[in-house]
Amino acid sequence: MNCREAVEHLYEYLDRELTPEVESKVREHLKACPPCGEHFDTEQAFLKFVEARCRSRCAPPELKRRILRELFGE
Amino acid sequence: MNASSEQAGSGDGKRASFEREALVHLDALYRVALRLTGNGSDADDLVQETMLKAYRSWDQYQLGTNAKGWLLTILRNSFINEYRRRARHPETVDVDTIEPFAVLSEEQEADPHGRFFDQIVDEEVQRAIDGLPEAFREALVLSDVEGLSYQDIAGILEVPVGTVKSRLFRARQMLKAKLYQYAVEMGYIKGNAG
Ligand SMILES: [Zn+2]
Repeated sequence: MNCREAVEHLYEYLDRELTPEVESKVREHLKACPPCGEHFDTEQAFLKFVEARCRSRCAPPELKRRILRELFGE
Repeated sequence: MNASSEQAGSGDGKRASFEREALVHLDALYRVALRLTGNGSDADDLVQETMLKAYRSWDQYQLGTNAKGWLLTILRNSFINEYRRRARHPETVDVDTIEPFAVLSEEQEADPHGRFFDQIVDEEVQRAIDGLPEAFREALVLSDVEGLSYQDIAGILEVPVGTVKSRLFRARQMLKAKLYQYAVEMGYIKGNAG
């Protein structure tokens, strides 16, 4: 697998959406090719960052109370 | 109790099974609702309505299957039918015709590894997501915040998996570009453009 093919699979690889066969080919390329390895690491860090910045939000306790009241009359 | 082949709503277990399989996703529904509606009070209403509809239809849901995807489908349909018109202006461009664009800009060259990310707070990232076209925003939130598979997202959005992939690609590029731009404006990184 060359660099162009590896980068075409960037997000499918990070999202764990590739078949095991293609995934291992990408992984082999990343091990052998530091620039691609770094590119993939940076993208992964970005996705983790977005997740962390949004996962901090939770449903307000009052909303949960409202829903329980509506559903079960509590 | 063995829930594998059971109808969700049978007998006394309805409330217990709903709490166990549906209410546990309240935070996820709320986060998605927030990004769809863009404000807390509409998000509250949308989530409440989703939960009421889900409870009324609980007999249709098969225990042990994908409750999160099922709930998110109800939530999104409610949003489209009742909230979108008043919450935001309807989309005027067909996002699937927007060309992907390169994010590699002078800004990114100044901080290729995105070290400025650490300085960007939650609210700013959420605001940047809220600024994305709706079709990009919902794909990105379902994938990158809630961790759903392409297949599940395609089911919820009622589009082919290939469309999910291309929207996700462009959503991520666009979000990154927005955050780089913000980082330059805030002086977290130096823009070369001057
Ligand atoms: Zn390479």
